[in-house]
Amino acid sequence: MARWRSLRWQIAALVAVASGVVALAVGLLVHQSTWERSLSLGRDRAVTALLTGPVDEGPLPPALAARVGPPGTYATWYDDSAPESPWMWGADGTGSVKIDMGGEVRGLRALDRNMALASAGVLGLVVPLAALAAELPNHRLRRVARTARRIAEGDLEARTSAGRGGDEITAIAAAVDTMAAALHDRLRAEQRFTADVAHELRTPLMGLVTSAELLPDGEVTDLVRDRVGVLRVLVENLLEISRLDAGAEAADRVEVPLGRFAADCVHRTGLAAEVTAQGDPVAVTDPRRLDRILANLVVNAHRHGKVPVEVHVTGTTITVRDHGPGFPASLLAEGPQRFRTGAAERGRGHGLGLTIAAGQARVIGARLAFGNDPEGGAVATVRLN
Amino acid sequence: MSVSVLLVEDDEVIRKSVGMALERYGYRVDAAADGLTGLERFHAGGHDLLLLDVMLPGLDGIGLCRRVRESSLVPILMMSARGDALDVVSGLEAGADDYVVKPADTAVLVARIRALLRRAAPAPGTPTLVFGDLTVDPEALEVRVAGELVSLAPTELRLLLEFAANPGIVLDRQTLLRNVWDYGWDGDSRVVDLCVQRLRRKVGADRVETVRGFGYKLRR
Repeated sequence: MARWRSLRWQIAALVAVASGVVALAVGLLVHQSTWERSLSLGRDRAVTALLTGPVDEGPLPPALAARVGPPGTYATWYDDSAPESPWMWGADGTGSVKIDMGGEVRGLRALDRNMALASAGVLGLVVPLAALAAELPNHRLRRVARTARRIAEGDLEARTSAGRGGDEITAIAAAVDTMAAALHDRLRAEQRFTADVAHELRTPLMGLVTSAELLPDGEVTDLVRDRVGVLRVLVENLLEISRLDAGAEAADRVEVPLGRFAADCVHRTGLAAEVTAQGDPVAVTDPRRLDRILANLVVNAHRHGKVPVEVHVTGTTITVRDHGPGFPASLLAEGPQRFRTGAAERGRGHGLGLTIAAGQARVIGARLAFGNDPEGGAVATVRLN
Repeated sequence: MSVSVLLVEDDEVIRKSVGMALERYGYRVDAAADGLTGLERFHAGGHDLLLLDVMLPGLDGIGLCRRVRESSLVPILMMSARGDALDVVSGLEAGADDYVVKPADTAVLVARIRALLRRAAPAPGTPTLVFGDLTVDPEALEVRVAGELVSLAPTELRLLLEFAANPGIVLDRQTLLRNVWDYGWDGDSRVVDLCVQRLRRKVGADRVETVRGFGYKLRR
């Protein structure tokens, strides 16, 4: 589980291992020196006993017998052949003694047990404390991660506000803040530029549009109005694309009854398309953006494909299908590219409609897929949610 | 008596062509080329609707809108060539009732003007509605807060009447755009949000409740 791989538990485990190793090393040292001290005390007692008057304790163990020297020298040997009753033998050629070492052995075991218990107790205290202490940097790191995610989701006002402190976490938090500020500035500049361009293009265009409407009807007027219309659509499409590119667009979601909506949308395009819906599907989405997507797909189907154009709604999936030659391979491979309409025979258009549809789909979190029907014809699929 | 529109627009071609186009539709058009002249013309009186460009030399459309709102409830339609959030939101905050993005053809402009000029129709025989200290009289089109008469701009009044007709029921922004502003799917929900804000300032902030993700309702 990811939680157990969290930094907090990694630090706690590290602390536990380090504490364990230290406790083990100290324990071994204490064990060893205590035992050596017991042995030397045992030897002293054996020698003292020999001096006060050796008794014969029966046959010497062979290992001791081999070490017994001439009278006046002492030899000792620790006998642990019976673990529950170990003896310290002493011998000096004239006789031998044996001292009971059971007490020392039991004492050492008790010491070991106590040290193990104490170590376990301290570990039980230190590990949770370490985990708790690790929570502090962890919390700050999580905040940095959360902020970075919010920035990625488009909230460029998000800041980590890491505060002071010279550690690495403050450094990474400050770096994330700087990045967000730089992104924000660039986005602002781009938005301002787009808005200025919009103003500079739309103002004369509006004069043109209203003036063209005032012209007396006639063949020349029709030509002018047609070109004004084309120019207007082109300008609006370009502005829409630059707004989408600036990444400043946000969806405005409401409940949309898709069947009726698709029919209305097709109706507004003024183009013929057969709209069918399965049941009465409702989606929570941005109707203005969905309208742009569907209208552009229907217009594209008419411009580059062949009638009949079919719009079908199933659940939250809408497909727009025509019966023309299908989408060109480059579009299927790379997605829509602005000002690229594929093969020359696909006719006029700026290749902006599908780019806008794809961009708006991204804004409303829908997936827009392009494909060709095995029986011929282009199929664009919009999957909402 | 034809409807009189005050058009304030600095671009000469737009000013002339929109003026002529509106006159063809039967409106009387009074035109000004900058904000201060516009304000003078407005004070001279007699306009039924203001059609303002946002970017104007001198006093800009937003400032002009604010100055007009200090003394008048006349419907105001803004024209924005930038169409970005800043223009739109500040225009609506300053008291505009709706906005169009340039280039708007005359048909759209006229449709918007008609929607804003559509007065709230008095509903004879409808009893006065009481919501706490707020009373709405759909017959006399009078709104009172704690007995004091409140003057609402036509859009604000239509919005309040829409709420009053559905007390306690959540109205989503699309419904309000359709019923108050005559929009189809193409309305901008910020128009509703900002008009609700203005309405709240006049009838009490807690009277109109926001239902997150859905819309608004009038507290009974």
